Amino acid sequence: MRASFVALARSAWKGPHIVPLPIADALKTGAPIRTNSRNCTILPQFVGVKFQVHNGKEYVAFEITDEMIGHKLGEFAPTRKSFKYTQTKNK
Amino acid sequence: MAIHILGKAIKGKKPIHLGLASTFYGIGVGTAQKICAKLGFYPQMQIHQLSENQILNITKELSGMTIEKQLLEETRSNIKMKKDIGSYAGMRHAMGLPVRGQKTKNNIATARKLNRINRKQ
Repeated sequence: MRASFVALARSAWKGPHIVPLPIADALKTGAPIRTNSRNCTILPQFVGVKFQVHNGKEYVAFEITDEMIGHKLGEFAPTRKSFKYTQTKNK
Repeated sequence: MAIHILGKAIKGKKPIHLGLASTFYGIGVGTAQKICAKLGFYPQMQIHQLSENQILNITKELSGMTIEKQLLEETRSNIKMKKDIGSYAGMRHAMGLPVRGQKTKNNIATARKLNRINRKQ
């Protein structure tokens, strides 16, 4: 990822958007963190933690890897369902 | 009279910066003008006026930059990375739709053309 885009998106003096989450506990126990805060920036400390992020309807599960650092949690839980044609309504 | 730079033919009767910009992927008019200014070519100078030495200088300048195949590979790997980590941007690339929240009711020709995992030139 290009660092410059992060710099453009947000003032440097603010730092990344941080949401209080039980990261230390999750790393110890390995239990997934269930959260609704899609706008939380993924920090280097998050790597290896399992997340369940709300997409408006249900919780999407995924694990944080190295490359996800700097993205937001919501980017990995898509909110829209693509249209699929079915011949009968009751399918 | 065409001149060959890095294995690519450029027409002789063309200003140098425009010739470079239209030949190499990854070099636009701005970058080409910077190269010309650095090597001391006046703006109206044409390709056929270049001497052997000056062509070598251009080749040297270009070989230090990421252009052509190298640049395309880099772009593609960046897109592929986004797809592999499962992000929204990667998904939109795979679908051939706009990535940065543009509307899709109409006018998405550019996205249809360019946005894909194995991006074309």
